[in-house]
Amino acid sequence: MAYKMPAQKYSGQIQEVTIGSDLKLGGESVLPFYSFDGDMGNKPVIGMEIWDIIPESWPEGVLNTFKDVADDPVKWAKYCEEKYNPDFICIKFEGANPDGLDKSPEECAEVAKKLAENVKVPLVIAGCQNNEKNAKVFTKVAEALPDKNYVFLSAVESNYKEVGAAVGMAYGNIVAAESSVDLNLAKQLNILVTQLGIKPEKMVMDPGCAAVGYGFEYVVTTMDRIRLAALQQSDTTLQIPMILPVSFESWKVKESIAPEEEMPEWGSQEDRGIAMEISTAVGVLGSGANAVILRHPRSVEVVRNFISEMTE
Amino acid sequence: MARFLTIGERIHVISPVIRKAMQERNPEPIIARAREQVEAGAHYLDVNIGPADRDGEELMPWAVKTLQEEFPDTPLCLDTANMKAIEAGIKVYDRKPGKPIINSADAGPRIEMINLAAEYDAMVIGLCAKEGIPRDNDERIMYCTEILERAMDAGLAPENILFDPLFVVVKGMQDKQQEVLEAVRQISEMGLLTTGGLSNVSNGCPKELRGLIEAVFCAMAIQCGLTSAIINPLDKLVIDVIKTADLIKERNLYADSYLEL
Repeated sequence: MAYKMPAQKYSGQIQEVTIGSDLKLGGESVLPFYSFDGDMGNKPVIGMEIWDIIPESWPEGVLNTFKDVADDPVKWAKYCEEKYNPDFICIKFEGANPDGLDKSPEECAEVAKKLAENVKVPLVIAGCQNNEKNAKVFTKVAEALPDKNYVFLSAVESNYKEVGAAVGMAYGNIVAAESSVDLNLAKQLNILVTQLGIKPEKMVMDPGCAAVGYGFEYVVTTMDRIRLAALQQSDTTLQIPMILPVSFESWKVKESIAPEEEMPEWGSQEDRGIAMEISTAVGVLGSGANAVILRHPRSVEVVRNFISEMTE
Repeated sequence: MARFLTIGERIHVISPVIRKAMQERNPEPIIARAREQVEAGAHYLDVNIGPADRDGEELMPWAVKTLQEEFPDTPLCLDTANMKAIEAGIKVYDRKPGKPIINSADAGPRIEMINLAAEYDAMVIGLCAKEGIPRDNDERIMYCTEILERAMDAGLAPENILFDPLFVVVKGMQDKQQEVLEAVRQISEMGLLTTGGLSNVSNGCPKELRGLIEAVFCAMAIQCGLTSAIINPLDKLVIDVIKTADLIKERNLYADSYLEL
Protein backbone atom coordinates (compact mmCIF):
# COMPACT_ATOMS: atom_id res chain seq x y z
CA MET A 1 0.00 0.00 0.00
CA ALA A 2 1.26 3.46 -0.87
CA TYR A 3 2.35 5.68 1.97
CA LYS A 4 -0.23 8.29 2.83
CA MET A 5 1.25 11.39 4.30
CA PRO A 6 -0.63 12.39 7.48
CA ALA A 7 -1.86 16.00 7.54
CA GLN A 8 -2.41 18.00 10.70
CA LYS A 9 -5.73 19.77 10.25
CA TYR A 10 -6.68 22.71 12.44
CA SER A 11 -10.10 24.18 13.02
CA GLY A 12 -8.82 27.76 13.22
CA GLN A 13 -7.62 30.12 10.53
CA ILE A 14 -5.72 33.40 10.69
CA GLN A 15 -7.76 36.42 9.67
CA GLU A 16 -6.88 37.89 6.29
CA VAL A 17 -5.98 41.58 6.59
CA THR A 18 -5.44 43.85 3.60
CA ILE A 19 -2.85 46.61 3.94
CA GLY A 20 -3.15 49.52 1.57
CA SER A 21 -5.24 48.54 -1.43
CA ASP A 22 -4.09 44.99 -2.07
CA LEU A 23 -1.27 43.75 0.16
CA LYS A 24 -2.80 40.76 1.91
CA LEU A 25 -1.56 39.24 5.16
CA GLY A 26 -2.61 36.05 6.94
CA GLY A 27 -5.27 33.58 5.85
CA GLU A 28 -3.27 30.51 6.83
CA SER A 29 -4.75 27.49 8.61
CA VAL A 30 -1.46 25.69 9.20
CA LEU A 31 1.74 26.33 11.14
CA PRO A 32 4.29 28.58 9.36
CA PHE A 33 5.38 27.12 6.02
CA TYR A 34 3.61 23.79 6.69
CA SER A 35 2.37 23.62 3.12
CA PHE A 36 2.14 19.81 3.43
CA ASP A 37 -0.63 20.23 6.02
CA GLY A 38 -2.91 22.62 4.18
CA ASP A 39 -3.50 26.20 3.16
CA MET A 40 -0.56 28.50 3.91
CA GLY A 41 -2.60 31.60 3.12
CA ASN A 42 -0.72 34.65 1.87
CA LYS A 43 3.03 34.49 1.89
CA PRO A 44 4.87 36.62 4.44
CA VAL A 45 5.79 40.11 3.31
CA ILE A 46 8.81 42.38 3.81
CA GLY A 47 8.88 46.07 4.56
CA MET A 48 11.85 48.44 4.62
CA GLU A 49 12.43 50.84 7.47
CA ILE A 50 13.09 54.52 6.82
CA TRP A 51 13.17 57.49 9.21
CA ASP A 52 11.78 60.99 9.09
CA ILE A 53 15.20 62.33 10.14
CA ILE A 54 18.77 61.41 9.22
CA PRO A 55 19.38 58.25 11.25
CA GLU A 56 22.70 59.25 12.74
CA SER A 57 22.50 56.48 15.31
CA TRP A 58 22.53 53.77 12.64
CA PRO A 59 25.73 51.76 12.29
CA GLU A 60 27.93 53.06 9.52
CA GLY A 61 27.50 50.12 7.16
CA VAL A 62 23.76 50.40 6.87
CA LEU A 63 23.76 54.19 7.00
CA ASN A 64 26.21 54.39 4.10
CA THR A 65 23.81 52.43 1.91
CA PHE A 66 21.31 55.27 2.17
CA LYS A 67 23.64 58.24 2.64
CA ASP A 68 22.52 60.04 -0.52
CA VAL A 69 18.82 59.81 0.26
CA ALA A 70 18.53 59.73 4.06
CA ASP A 71 18.02 63.48 4.35
CA ASP A 72 14.59 63.25 2.72
CA PRO A 73 12.06 60.53 3.57
CA VAL A 74 10.32 60.77 0.19
CA LYS A 75 13.58 60.39 -1.71
CA TRP A 76 14.57 57.56 0.63
CA ALA A 77 11.28 55.72 0.23
CA LYS A 78 11.35 56.02 -3.55
CA TYR A 79 14.94 54.85 -3.62
CA CYS A 80 14.00 51.73 -1.61
CA GLU A 81 10.92 51.12 -3.67
CA GLU A 82 12.68 51.36 -7.00
CA LYS A 83 15.87 49.62 -6.07
CA TYR A 84 14.80 46.91 -3.63
CA ASN A 85 11.12 46.35 -4.32
CA PRO A 86 9.83 45.90 -0.74
CA ASP A 87 6.17 45.01 -0.13
CA PHE A 88 5.73 48.07 2.07
CA ILE A 89 7.65 51.00 3.53
CA CYS A 90 7.80 51.56 7.27
CA ILE A 91 8.28 55.22 8.12
CA LYS A 92 9.52 55.61 11.69
CA PHE A 93 8.92 59.03 13.20
CA GLU A 94 12.01 59.16 15.38
CA GLY A 95 12.02 62.91 14.93
CA ALA A 96 8.89 63.14 17.06
CA ASN A 97 10.72 61.96 20.16
CA PRO A 98 10.29 64.62 22.89
CA ASP A 99 13.86 63.89 24.02
CA GLY A 100 15.13 64.59 20.53
CA LEU A 101 13.84 66.95 17.85
CA ASP A 102 10.30 66.82 19.25
CA LYS A 103 8.66 67.35 15.86
CA SER A 104 5.00 68.16 16.02
CA PRO A 105 2.26 65.70 15.01
CA GLU A 106 1.37 68.14 12.22
CA GLU A 107 4.90 68.01 10.80
CA CYS A 108 4.80 64.22 10.90
CA ALA A 109 1.41 64.17 9.17
CA GLU A 110 2.84 66.38 6.44
CA VAL A 111 5.71 63.94 5.83
CA ALA A 112 3.37 60.94 5.86
CA LYS A 113 1.06 62.60 3.37
CA LYS A 114 3.93 63.35 0.99
CA LEU A 115 5.08 59.77 1.26
CA ALA A 116 1.62 58.45 0.53
CA GLU A 117 1.43 60.65 -2.55
CA ASN A 118 4.81 59.57 -3.89
CA VAL A 119 5.13 55.91 -2.99
CA LYS A 120 3.16 53.11 -4.60
CA VAL A 121 3.48 50.48 -1.86
CA PRO A 122 1.49 50.80 1.37
CA LEU A 123 2.92 52.46 4.46
CA VAL A 124 3.44 51.29 7.99
CA ILE A 125 3.57 54.26 10.35
CA ALA A 126 5.85 53.69 13.33
CA GLY A 127 6.42 55.99 16.27
CA CYS A 128 9.26 56.87 18.60
CA GLN A 129 10.02 55.60 22.11
CA ASN A 130 7.36 57.79 23.69
CA ASN A 131 3.92 56.18 23.65
CA GLU A 132 2.12 59.31 24.76
CA LYS A 133 3.60 61.31 21.90
CA ASN A 134 2.96 58.46 19.48
CA ALA A 135 -0.76 58.60 20.22
CA LYS A 136 -0.79 62.26 19.21
CA VAL A 137 1.35 61.67 16.12
CA PHE A 138 -0.76 58.68 15.00
CA THR A 139 -3.96 60.66 15.44
CA LYS A 140 -2.73 63.44 13.15
CA VAL A 141 -1.21 61.11 10.58
CA ALA A 142 -4.36 58.96 10.45
CA GLU A 143 -6.46 62.10 10.07
CA ALA A 144 -4.30 63.19 7.13
CA LEU A 145 -4.54 59.73 5.54
CA PRO A 146 -8.04 58.41 6.24
CA ASP A 147 -9.21 54.99 5.04
CA LYS A 148 -5.83 54.10 3.54
CA ASN A 149 -5.55 50.80 5.40
CA TYR A 150 -2.10 51.82 6.57
CA VAL A 151 -0.75 50.07 9.65
CA PHE A 152 0.04 52.12 12.75
CA LEU A 153 2.78 50.61 14.85
CA SER A 154 1.59 50.51 17.47
CA ALA A 155 -1.08 50.61 20.14
CA VAL A 156 0.24 49.55 23.55
CA GLU A 157 -1.48 49.07 26.90
CA SER A 158 -0.98 52.71 27.89
CA ASN A 159 -2.28 54.35 24.69
CA TYR A 160 -4.51 51.81 22.94
CA LYS A 161 -7.71 53.75 23.63
CA GLU A 162 -6.47 56.92 21.98
CA VAL A 163 -4.68 55.13 19.14
CA GLY A 164 -7.56 52.72 18.54
CA ALA A 165 -10.20 55.46 18.57
CA ALA A 166 -8.32 57.65 16.07
CA VAL A 167 -6.51 55.18 13.82
CA GLY A 168 -9.08 52.40 13.74
CA MET A 169 -12.45 53.93 14.50
CA ALA A 170 -12.34 57.53 13.27
CA TYR A 171 -9.97 57.25 10.30
CA GLY A 172 -10.31 53.66 9.08
CA ASN A 173 -6.71 52.52 9.23
CA ILE A 174 -5.15 49.41 10.76
CA VAL A 175 -4.15 49.18 14.40
CA ALA A 176 -1.14 47.08 15.41
CA ALA A 177 -1.57 45.88 18.98
CA GLU A 178 1.83 45.59 20.62
CA SER A 179 2.58 43.65 23.77
CA SER A 180 5.93 42.79 25.28
CA VAL A 181 6.54 39.08 24.77
CA ASP A 182 3.72 37.87 27.00
CA LEU A 183 1.12 35.46 25.70
CA ASN A 184 -1.68 36.46 28.06
CA LEU A 185 -1.07 40.18 27.63
CA ALA A 186 -1.07 39.76 23.86
CA LYS A 187 -4.50 38.18 24.03
CA GLN A 188 -5.75 40.74 26.55
CA LEU A 189 -4.67 43.70 24.42
CA ASN A 190 -6.34 42.19 21.36
CA ILE A 191 -9.55 41.81 23.36
CA LEU A 192 -9.36 45.41 24.58
CA VAL A 193 -8.74 46.75 21.06
CA THR A 194 -11.65 44.67 19.75
CA GLN A 195 -13.86 45.98 22.53
CA LEU A 196 -13.26 49.51 21.23
CA GLY A 197 -15.18 48.38 18.17
CA ILE A 198 -12.25 47.64 15.87
CA LYS A 199 -12.88 44.69 13.56
CA PRO A 200 -10.33 41.86 13.39
CA GLU A 201 -9.78 42.60 9.69
CA LYS A 202 -8.51 46.04 10.74
CA MET A 203 -5.95 44.71 13.19
CA VAL A 204 -2.50 43.20 13.22
CA MET A 205 -0.41 42.32 16.23
CA ASP A 206 3.18 42.77 17.33
CA PRO A 207 3.71 40.25 20.11
CA GLY A 208 7.06 41.86 20.96
CA CYS A 209 10.38 41.39 19.24
CA ALA A 210 14.00 40.91 20.28
CA ALA A 211 17.20 40.23 18.40
CA VAL A 212 18.58 36.70 18.34
CA GLY A 213 20.49 36.07 21.55
CA TYR A 214 18.52 38.67 23.49
CA GLY A 215 15.66 36.69 24.96
CA PHE A 216 14.77 35.54 21.48
CA GLU A 217 13.58 32.12 22.68
CA TYR A 218 10.82 33.90 24.62
CA VAL A 219 9.78 35.71 21.46
CA VAL A 220 9.68 32.47 19.51
CA THR A 221 7.78 30.43 22.11
CA THR A 222 5.29 33.25 22.63
CA MET A 223 4.65 33.40 18.89
CA ASP A 224 4.39 29.62 18.63
CA ARG A 225 1.84 29.47 21.41
CA ILE A 226 -0.15 32.35 19.93
CA ARG A 227 -0.37 30.47 16.65
CA LEU A 228 -1.28 27.18 18.33
CA ALA A 229 -4.07 28.85 20.33
CA ALA A 230 -5.33 30.48 17.13
CA LEU A 231 -5.27 27.28 15.10
CA GLN A 232 -5.86 24.45 17.60
CA GLN A 233 -8.24 26.18 19.99
CA SER A 234 -9.77 28.42 17.31
CA ASP A 235 -9.09 31.39 19.56
CA THR A 236 -10.49 34.23 17.47
CA THR A 237 -8.81 36.85 19.65
CA LEU A 238 -5.43 35.57 18.44
CA GLN A 239 -6.28 34.84 14.80
CA ILE A 240 -4.62 38.12 13.86
CA PRO A 241 -1.63 38.45 11.50
CA MET A 242 1.66 39.24 13.22
CA ILE A 243 4.05 42.00 12.15
CA LEU A 244 7.55 41.99 13.61
CA PRO A 245 9.78 45.10 13.49
CA VAL A 246 12.96 43.06 13.31
CA SER A 247 15.26 45.92 12.35
CA PHE A 248 14.26 48.03 15.38
CA GLU A 249 15.87 45.39 17.58
CA SER A 250 18.57 43.74 15.53
CA TRP A 251 20.52 46.93 14.72
CA LYS A 252 20.90 48.14 18.27
CA VAL A 253 22.62 45.15 19.87
CA LYS A 254 26.38 45.07 20.35
CA GLU A 255 26.95 42.53 17.56
CA SER A 256 25.58 45.11 15.13
CA ILE A 257 27.05 48.31 16.56
CA ALA A 258 30.51 47.41 17.87
CA PRO A 259 33.01 48.91 15.38
CA GLU A 260 35.49 46.59 13.78
CA GLU A 261 38.46 48.42 15.34
CA GLU A 262 37.11 47.53 18.80
CA MET A 263 36.20 43.96 17.92
CA PRO A 264 38.58 42.91 15.15
CA GLU A 265 37.99 39.21 15.90
CA TRP A 266 34.27 39.66 15.08
CA GLY A 267 34.94 40.73 11.53
CA SER A 268 33.05 43.25 9.41
CA GLN A 269 30.54 45.30 11.37
CA GLU A 270 28.17 45.58 8.42
CA ASP A 271 28.18 41.82 7.84
CA ARG A 272 27.47 41.19 11.52
CA GLY A 273 24.51 43.54 11.49
CA ILE A 274 23.11 41.88 8.39
CA ALA A 275 23.61 38.44 9.93
CA MET A 276 21.76 39.51 13.10
CA GLU A 277 18.92 40.96 11.05
CA ILE A 278 18.55 37.92 8.81
CA SER A 279 18.74 35.41 11.67
CA THR A 280 16.12 37.31 13.66
CA ALA A 281 13.82 37.64 10.66
CA VAL A 282 14.05 33.98 9.69
CA GLY A 283 13.43 32.97 13.31
CA VAL A 284 10.23 35.00 13.63
CA LEU A 285 9.02 33.94 10.18
CA GLY A 286 9.41 30.35 11.30
CA SER A 287 7.24 31.15 14.29
CA GLY A 288 4.39 32.71 12.37
CA ALA A 289 5.30 36.30 11.49
CA ASN A 290 3.22 37.47 8.52
CA ALA A 291 5.31 40.60 7.96
CA VAL A 292 8.82 41.64 8.93
CA ILE A 293 10.42 45.08 8.85
CA LEU A 294 14.06 45.14 7.73
CA ARG A 295 16.70 47.78 7.22
CA HIS A 296 19.58 46.50 5.09
CA PRO A 297 19.05 45.75 1.37
CA ARG A 298 21.10 42.57 1.68
CA SER A 299 18.78 41.32 4.44
CA VAL A 300 15.77 42.10 2.28
CA GLU A 301 17.26 40.09 -0.56
CA VAL A 302 18.15 37.06 1.57
CA VAL A 303 14.89 36.99 3.51
CA ARG A 304 12.86 37.38 0.33
CA ASN A 305 14.75 34.47 -1.15
CA PHE A 306 14.11 32.42 1.99
CA ILE A 307 10.37 33.11 1.79
CA SER A 308 10.26 32.21 -1.90
CA GLU A 309 12.14 28.96 -1.34
CA MET A 310 9.80 28.03 1.49
CA THR A 311 6.59 28.87 -0.32
CA GLU A 312 7.10 28.08 -3.97
CA MET B 1 -8.83 19.98 23.16
CA ALA B 2 -12.15 21.53 22.16
CA ARG B 3 -13.87 23.89 24.53
CA PHE B 4 -16.80 22.88 26.70
CA LEU B 5 -20.00 22.87 24.66
CA THR B 6 -23.11 24.50 26.10
CA ILE B 7 -26.65 23.80 24.93
CA GLY B 8 -29.23 26.41 26.01
CA GLU B 9 -32.36 24.79 27.36
CA ARG B 10 -34.82 27.67 27.50
CA ILE B 11 -36.86 27.01 24.36
CA HIS B 12 -38.99 24.35 25.96
CA VAL B 13 -42.64 23.53 25.49
CA ILE B 14 -43.04 23.20 29.24
CA SER B 15 -42.83 26.99 29.46
CA PRO B 16 -46.35 28.41 28.98
CA VAL B 17 -45.04 31.32 26.89
CA ILE B 18 -43.22 28.98 24.51
CA ARG B 19 -46.09 26.48 24.36
CA LYS B 20 -48.49 29.22 23.37
CA ALA B 21 -46.07 30.66 20.82
CA MET B 22 -45.59 27.24 19.26
CA GLN B 23 -49.32 26.60 19.11
CA GLU B 24 -49.95 29.96 17.48
CA ARG B 25 -46.77 29.85 15.35
CA ASN B 26 -45.85 33.18 16.83
CA PRO B 27 -42.09 33.66 16.32
CA GLU B 28 -41.48 36.60 18.67
CA PRO B 29 -41.44 34.91 22.10
CA ILE B 30 -39.25 32.11 20.71
CA ILE B 31 -36.82 34.52 19.08
CA ALA B 32 -36.66 36.56 22.29
CA ARG B 33 -35.73 33.48 24.30
CA ALA B 34 -33.19 32.48 21.69
CA ARG B 35 -31.61 35.92 21.65
CA GLU B 36 -31.09 36.11 25.40
CA GLN B 37 -29.43 32.71 25.35
CA VAL B 38 -27.19 33.46 22.36
CA GLU B 39 -26.13 36.74 23.95
CA ALA B 40 -25.39 34.93 27.20
CA GLY B 41 -22.99 32.67 25.31
CA ALA B 42 -24.88 29.44 24.57
CA HIS B 43 -23.24 27.53 21.72
CA TYR B 44 -26.25 25.42 20.71
CA LEU B 45 -29.94 26.09 21.32
CA ASP B 46 -32.22 23.25 22.29
CA VAL B 47 -35.63 23.37 20.62
CA ASN B 48 -38.05 21.27 22.65
CA ILE B 49 -41.46 20.93 21.04
CA GLY B 50 -42.72 18.23 23.42
CA PRO B 51 -44.13 14.92 22.15
CA ALA B 52 -45.88 16.81 19.31
CA ASP B 53 -47.72 13.72 18.13
CA ARG B 54 -50.23 15.72 16.20
CA ASP B 55 -48.33 18.45 14.35
CA GLY B 56 -44.63 17.81 15.05
CA GLU B 57 -43.74 17.29 11.39
CA GLU B 58 -44.95 20.76 10.68
CA LEU B 59 -43.97 22.46 13.94
CA MET B 60 -40.31 21.42 14.04
CA PRO B 61 -39.41 22.71 10.53
CA TRP B 62 -41.23 25.93 11.33
CA ALA B 63 -39.23 26.36 14.56
CA VAL B 64 -35.94 25.49 12.84
CA LYS B 65 -36.51 27.96 10.02
CA THR B 66 -37.73 30.67 12.37
CA LEU B 67 -34.61 30.40 14.52
CA GLN B 68 -32.07 29.97 11.73
CA GLU B 69 -33.34 32.99 9.83
CA GLU B 70 -32.74 35.11 12.90
CA PHE B 71 -29.59 33.37 14.19
CA PRO B 72 -27.72 31.95 11.18
CA ASP B 73 -24.56 31.36 13.26
CA THR B 74 -26.17 29.31 16.01
CA PRO B 75 -26.59 25.55 15.57
CA LEU B 76 -29.65 23.80 16.97
CA CYS B 77 -30.49 20.76 19.03
CA LEU B 78 -33.82 19.27 17.93
CA ASP B 79 -35.68 17.93 20.93
CA THR B 80 -38.74 15.68 20.71
CA ALA B 81 -39.57 11.99 20.92
CA ASN B 82 -41.34 12.29 17.57
CA MET B 83 -38.91 10.88 15.00
CA LYS B 84 -40.80 12.17 12.01
CA ALA B 85 -40.70 15.67 13.49
CA ILE B 86 -36.91 15.41 13.95
CA GLU B 87 -36.50 14.20 10.39
CA ALA B 88 -38.64 17.02 9.03
CA GLY B 89 -36.61 19.51 11.09
CA ILE B 90 -33.27 18.20 9.85
CA LYS B 91 -34.46 18.39 6.24
CA VAL B 92 -34.83 22.17 6.46
CA TYR B 93 -31.85 22.67 8.78
CA ASP B 94 -28.96 24.79 7.44
CA ARG B 95 -25.80 23.10 8.71
CA LYS B 96 -23.44 26.00 8.08
CA PRO B 97 -23.09 26.82 11.82
CA GLY B 98 -22.67 23.14 12.74
CA LYS B 99 -24.39 19.75 12.58
CA PRO B 100 -27.82 19.47 14.16
CA ILE B 101 -28.00 17.50 17.40
CA ILE B 102 -30.86 15.05 17.88
CA ASN B 103 -32.18 15.08 21.45
CA SER B 104 -32.36 12.20 22.09
CA ALA B 105 -31.76 8.49 21.56
CA ASP B 106 -31.72 5.87 24.31
CA ALA B 107 -31.04 2.16 24.52
CA GLY B 108 -34.75 1.42 24.55
CA PRO B 109 -37.64 2.56 22.40
CA ARG B 110 -35.73 5.55 21.01
CA ILE B 111 -32.66 3.69 19.74
CA GLU B 112 -33.83 4.27 16.16
CA MET B 113 -32.77 7.90 16.62
CA ILE B 114 -29.19 6.62 16.23
CA ASN B 115 -30.02 5.41 12.73
CA LEU B 116 -31.67 8.70 11.97
CA ALA B 117 -28.51 10.55 13.03
CA ALA B 118 -26.42 8.26 10.83
CA GLU B 119 -28.72 8.74 7.86
CA TYR B 120 -28.63 12.53 8.08
CA ASP B 121 -25.04 13.00 9.32
CA ALA B 122 -26.30 14.56 12.55
CA MET B 123 -25.06 14.41 16.11
CA VAL B 124 -27.20 12.77 18.74
CA ILE B 125 -27.53 12.71 22.51
CA GLY B 126 -27.46 9.11 23.72
CA LEU B 127 -29.24 8.63 27.01
CA CYS B 128 -27.66 5.76 28.92
CA ALA B 129 -31.09 4.49 29.84
CA LYS B 130 -33.78 2.10 28.69
CA GLU B 131 -36.79 2.54 30.92
CA GLY B 132 -36.62 5.36 33.42
CA ILE B 133 -33.48 6.12 35.37
CA PRO B 134 -30.79 3.42 35.21
CA ARG B 135 -30.38 1.52 38.46
CA ASP B 136 -26.62 1.73 38.70
CA ASN B 137 -23.50 2.31 36.64
CA ASP B 138 -23.41 -1.25 35.39
CA GLU B 139 -26.69 -0.50 33.67
CA ARG B 140 -25.49 2.88 32.46
CA ILE B 141 -22.38 1.42 30.86
CA MET B 142 -24.37 -1.45 29.37
CA TYR B 143 -26.77 1.01 27.71
CA CYS B 144 -23.88 3.17 26.61
CA THR B 145 -22.33 0.13 24.93
CA GLU B 146 -25.64 -0.83 23.28
CA ILE B 147 -25.94 2.67 21.81
CA LEU B 148 -22.35 2.53 20.64
CA GLU B 149 -22.88 -0.84 18.95
CA ARG B 150 -25.97 0.42 17.20
CA ALA B 151 -24.01 3.44 16.03
CA MET B 152 -21.20 1.26 14.68
CA ASP B 153 -23.72 -0.84 12.75
CA ALA B 154 -25.38 2.26 11.36
CA GLY B 155 -22.08 3.88 10.39
CA LEU B 156 -22.28 6.75 12.87
CA ALA B 157 -18.85 7.76 14.21
CA PRO B 158 -18.67 7.81 18.03
CA GLU B 159 -17.65 11.49 18.09
CA ASN B 160 -21.16 12.28 16.87
CA ILE B 161 -22.72 10.96 20.06
CA LEU B 162 -22.98 12.88 23.32
CA PHE B 163 -23.54 10.25 26.00
CA ASP B 164 -25.84 11.39 28.78
CA PRO B 165 -25.52 9.31 31.97
CA LEU B 166 -28.69 11.01 33.27
CA PHE B 167 -28.03 13.60 35.94
CA VAL B 168 -30.33 13.16 38.93
CA VAL B 169 -31.81 15.53 41.47
CA VAL B 170 -29.72 16.21 44.56
CA LYS B 171 -32.79 16.83 46.68
CA GLY B 172 -33.96 13.26 47.02
CA MET B 173 -31.21 11.38 45.22
CA GLN B 174 -28.24 12.73 47.08
CA ASP B 175 -26.75 9.26 47.43
CA LYS B 176 -26.59 8.87 43.63
CA GLN B 177 -24.55 11.99 42.81
CA GLN B 178 -21.12 10.38 43.13
CA GLU B 179 -22.30 7.49 41.01
CA VAL B 180 -23.34 9.82 38.20
CA LEU B 181 -19.97 11.55 38.33
CA GLU B 182 -18.27 8.17 38.24
CA ALA B 183 -20.33 7.28 35.15
CA VAL B 184 -19.09 10.46 33.46
CA ARG B 185 -15.55 9.36 34.28
CA GLN B 186 -16.05 5.84 32.95
CA ILE B 187 -17.64 7.00 29.72
CA SER B 188 -14.95 9.65 29.23
CA GLU B 189 -12.23 7.08 29.77
CA MET B 190 -13.63 5.20 26.78
CA GLY B 191 -12.77 8.33 24.76
CA LEU B 192 -16.41 9.27 24.30
CA LEU B 193 -18.13 12.66 24.58
CA THR B 194 -20.60 13.32 27.35
CA THR B 195 -23.44 15.68 28.22
CA GLY B 196 -26.25 16.03 30.71
CA GLY B 197 -29.09 18.26 31.85
CA LEU B 198 -27.68 20.40 34.64
CA SER B 199 -31.06 21.65 35.80
CA ASN B 200 -31.97 18.05 36.67
CA VAL B 201 -29.51 18.27 39.54
CA SER B 202 -31.06 21.30 41.20
CA ASN B 203 -34.69 20.53 40.43
CA GLY B 204 -37.00 21.39 43.34
CA CYS B 205 -34.38 23.39 45.21
CA PRO B 206 -34.95 27.05 46.17
CA LYS B 207 -34.34 29.34 43.22
CA GLU B 208 -31.43 31.13 44.89
CA LEU B 209 -29.57 27.84 45.32
CA ARG B 210 -30.08 26.34 41.89
CA GLY B 211 -27.29 28.16 40.08
CA LEU B 212 -24.78 27.36 42.79
CA ILE B 213 -25.66 23.69 42.90
CA GLU B 214 -25.50 23.40 39.13
CA ALA B 215 -22.21 25.29 38.91
CA VAL B 216 -20.50 23.13 41.53
CA PHE B 217 -21.85 19.91 40.05
CA CYS B 218 -20.76 21.04 36.60
CA ALA B 219 -17.23 21.85 37.77
CA MET B 220 -16.94 18.45 39.44
CA ALA B 221 -18.31 16.70 36.37
CA ILE B 222 -15.89 18.57 34.09
CA GLN B 223 -13.02 17.24 36.15
CA CYS B 224 -14.48 13.77 35.54
CA GLY B 225 -14.38 14.46 31.80
CA LEU B 226 -17.75 16.04 30.99
CA THR B 227 -17.49 17.74 27.58
CA SER B 228 -20.85 19.48 27.30
CA ALA B 229 -24.05 20.23 29.21
CA ILE B 230 -27.58 21.35 28.66
CA ILE B 231 -27.82 24.50 30.73
CA ASN B 232 -29.68 27.67 31.48
CA PRO B 233 -27.19 30.12 29.94
CA LEU B 234 -28.84 33.04 31.70
CA ASP B 235 -27.35 31.73 34.90
CA LYS B 236 -24.15 33.75 34.88
CA LEU B 237 -22.56 31.72 37.65
CA VAL B 238 -22.83 28.52 35.61
CA ILE B 239 -21.47 30.20 32.49
CA ASP B 240 -18.58 31.77 34.41
CA VAL B 241 -17.71 28.47 36.06
CA ILE B 242 -17.66 26.75 32.65
CA LYS B 243 -15.42 29.46 31.19
CA THR B 244 -13.10 29.22 34.16
CA ALA B 245 -13.00 25.43 33.95
CA ASP B 246 -11.95 25.80 30.30
CA LEU B 247 -8.97 27.85 31.50
CA ILE B 248 -7.98 25.39 34.21
CA LYS B 249 -8.30 22.56 31.67
CA GLU B 250 -6.15 24.61 29.26
CA ARG B 251 -8.78 24.56 26.58
CA ASN B 252 -8.65 28.33 26.35
CA LEU B 253 -5.77 30.74 26.75
CA TYR B 254 -5.96 33.03 29.76
CA ALA B 255 -6.52 36.79 29.40
CA ASP B 256 -7.81 39.14 32.13
CA SER B 257 -11.04 39.71 30.20
CA TYR B 258 -11.77 36.02 29.58
CA LEU B 259 -15.23 36.18 31.16
CA GLU B 260 -16.26 38.94 28.75
CA LEU B 261 -15.78 36.80 25.65
